[in-house]
Amino acid sequence: MASEAGEGSTAGMDDYETLISTTDVELLKKAWRNEKAAPEILRFETSLIQRIRGQIQLMEENIEEFAGSGIDPLTVSLYQMDLDRTQYLFRSYLRIRLQKIEKYMFHISKNPEVQSRLSEQEKGFARRCADDMERHLEESVLSKLPDNYQDTVKQSIISEESDMRFSWF
Amino acid sequence: MYGRKACQLVKELASGEKGQLTPYNSDLFDQVIAECSQHHLELQSLIRKMQEEGLDVQTTRSADHYGALIHHLSLVRNKRCLMAYVYNRAETIRSLIWKVGPVLPQEIQEKLSHTEEDYFKKHAGTLQSYMSRLDLDVTVDMVPPKDPYIQVRVLDDIGVVLSDDKTTNFARHSMHFLKRTDAEQFISRGLMEELTG
Repeated sequence: MASEAGEGSTAGMDDYETLISTTDVELLKKAWRNEKAAPEILRFETSLIQRIRGQIQLMEENIEEFAGSGIDPLTVSLYQMDLDRTQYLFRSYLRIRLQKIEKYMFHISKNPEVQSRLSEQEKGFARRCADDMERHLEESVLSKLPDNYQDTVKQSIISEESDMRFSWF
Repeated sequence: MYGRKACQLVKELASGEKGQLTPYNSDLFDQVIAECSQHHLELQSLIRKMQEEGLDVQTTRSADHYGALIHHLSLVRNKRCLMAYVYNRAETIRSLIWKVGPVLPQEIQEKLSHTEEDYFKKHAGTLQSYMSRLDLDVTVDMVPPKDPYIQVRVLDDIGVVLSDDKTTNFARHSMHFLKRTDAEQFISRGLMEELTG
C-alpha cells in the first residue's frame, strides 16, 4: 500500500496517512480472500463495509483536492491507484456474495441460519431471486404438467417429503 | 421407450459449451409435456380399473398397480428432466447479466424462449434494485486494476458521450485515454478495445 509522503508533508497529508495506513483495508482483503475461498456464504462484515465506504468517499474527495492543488501528479496517481485497488476489493467482495446467493437461492430461502449471515439488502435480493425462479419454473414447466405434479419441491402430491431434485449440484 | 425424449433434452444441455446457450428447444419440450399427459391418462385409467374391481389402491400389488407405478415414475422422471433443463438454462442466463450487461445482443435473445426473456429482465431488475439500495454499481470494475487510465480504440461509432466534466466524440477508429471504469461498459459490449503494449 502506498505510504510514501513525498516532500512537503502538511498536516492534512499526515491525517491522510493515518487514514490509509489503517488496517481496515487489510481486514477487507482478508474478508475478500475468505469469501472467495469458502464454498458457502460467510457472515456479512457490516461494520467493516460501512467504514470502508466512508473511507473510500473520503479518499475520493481528498484526491480531487490534491489533483486541483498542484501536488505532484505522480503522487496523486499513486493515491488514485491505491483507491482503485480498494474499490475493486470492495465491489468484488459484494459480487462474490451475490453470485453465491444466486447459486444457492433455494437453500438460503429455507435455511434461517444462512439467511442471518446476509446483509439486509442481500436478504431482499435473495428473496426476489427465489421468487423470480419459482415463477419462471411454474410458467415454463409446472403449469403444463398434470395436476398433482405441479409442486416445485415435491415430485408429486404423494411424496412425503421435499424430494424434488433438479439441479446439477 | 419412456423418458428417451426427456433424456435428449438434458443431453443437449450437457453437450453445449459451458456458459453458452443453445436455442430453446420448444419442439422437444412440448413433446415431453405431451408424453407426461399421456402417462397421466394411462395412470388414471389403471387406477380407475383397480377401483372398479374393488381392489384397495394403496395396498394391492397387481399387474395394474405396477403398470400405474411405471407411468407415475416415468412422469416424475420427465418432470425432473424438464425442471433441470429450465433451471440450468436459467443459471446460464443469470451469468449473462454479469458478462454482457442488462441488455442482450440479438444473437443471444433469439435463443431464449419468451418466459426466459421475462426471467432475464426480472433478474436484471432484481440486481438493479439491490444496487440502487446500496447506491453502488457492482457490475463495473470486474478485473483487478493495473492502471487507473487505459488507452482504448473505438470499434463502433458511439458518437458524442457526456462523461463527468467533458464531452468526447467517440468516432470509429479514434483512440482515447480514459479512466478504466468509464471505458469498461463499452469494452464489455464490444464497442471499444483496450490497447495493451
